Amino acid sequence: MATINAGDTAWVLISSALVMLMTPGLALFYGGLVRRKNVLSTIMHSFFILGLVSVTWVLWGYSLAFGPDAGGGLIGRLDWLGLEGVTGAPSDTYAPTVPHLAFMAFQMMFAIITPALISGSFAERKRFKAFVLFAVAWSTLVYAPIAHWVWSPHGWLAGLGVLDFAGGTVVHLSSGVAALVAALFIGRRTGLIEAATEPHDVPMTVLGAGLLWFGWFGFNAGSALGANGVAATAFVTTNTAAAMAAITWVTISWLHRGTPSVLGAAIGAVAGLVAITPAAGFVTPAASILIGAGVAIVCYGASQLRLRSHIDDALDVFAVHGVGGAFGALATGVFATVAVNAAGRDGLLGGAPFQVILQLVAIGVVALYSATVTAGILFVVNLIVPIRVPHAEEEAGLDLAQHGEIAYQP
Amino acid sequence: MVIAALVTFAGLLAAWIVAPSAERRAAARTPSAAPAPAELVAEGA
Repeated sequence: MATINAGDTAWVLISSALVMLMTPGLALFYGGLVRRKNVLSTIMHSFFILGLVSVTWVLWGYSLAFGPDAGGGLIGRLDWLGLEGVTGAPSDTYAPTVPHLAFMAFQMMFAIITPALISGSFAERKRFKAFVLFAVAWSTLVYAPIAHWVWSPHGWLAGLGVLDFAGGTVVHLSSGVAALVAALFIGRRTGLIEAATEPHDVPMTVLGAGLLWFGWFGFNAGSALGANGVAATAFVTTNTAAAMAAITWVTISWLHRGTPSVLGAAIGAVAGLVAITPAAGFVTPAASILIGAGVAIVCYGASQLRLRSHIDDALDVFAVHGVGGAFGALATGVFATVAVNAAGRDGLLGGAPFQVILQLVAIGVVALYSATVTAGILFVVNLIVPIRVPHAEEEAGLDLAQHGEIAYQP
Repeated sequence: MVIAALVTFAGLLAAWIVAPSAERRAAARTPSAAPAPAELVAEGA
């Protein structure tokens, strides 16, 4: 018989609040990176989703992702539609020491931030109405099934033995790949001469990165679903990987471009946080240093390649979340050890090279599914509401054209 | 209760689809009140 533990419950609830703060943090992170005429619209894409997905998650999202399996480990049934049967008593299946509603709330915050991450790739040229429809469809048709595959005990990837502690595949790879597809679908921004635009407010972006880093302790350490040693491990590995990635990214950009970039420190920290997400509760602090250094090198390279391409992923969502998520998922297969978490599995360095194959399967399947279904959703939404704003609106800026407001008074 | 909540959300979804777009708002304005594109650009830049 499952019994509620006060310490575990307190930790999961406060972790939910920490993860909630990440979405406004993301809004500031993205908001500082765009031009001043698009800052409000960029912030709105994250902030509105905080409301939107909170409601859809309660209505049907949680049931699809975590409800009793509908068959084959592909999707949950609608038994918990509107949270019917999800109560203050512990679940038989998830987090047996906390109220089922607390587990649901924690997972809700993950569901909220994931589509918000995508918004950065087609920033500065998408229609708000179209993005709202896209977000509802994407969180239902992409996020919920992938969450079920990986995190439901009946999910087919979970059954294979795939490791994803806090969402390297479910959150970051899925959204990063969707971001790439969205950038390709909508096309380059009008009048973009260089591959990137200058951020309008770097302090805003650094503030956003700081809030993300803070909230990520809930994201990763909270995923232990208890106030215990695994949570402490995840807390330390999260901070260490973020720190190592930040200082490595700054070093690379210093050597490459001649200056230690402030923006690079912020983006590097986020890349480190992304990569440690699937590994946080399965690896040692020493491994998290290697993961942080590795992801900084790989994601910096990916962002440089993107700059040389014609793909206008405006805020480098694919380079950081797609590539970083895949790197972290793979690194989990290398560094995972049951010495850290008895509920996990050993990876390559623990004498289980097959775990790397499993992680590669998960990366391939999640990327392919997200790319395919995202393309379909964009196609259908575009038939209902054109996703791209007219040229004049793009020139004027989305703040004024789409929202009738401006961020800064002249 | 759940059905009522779903219907309420569906109402919001329908409202978002039919809500006026920026182009329709601009077309509804009188010519004198409508900002010219150049003014919009200057204001938003």
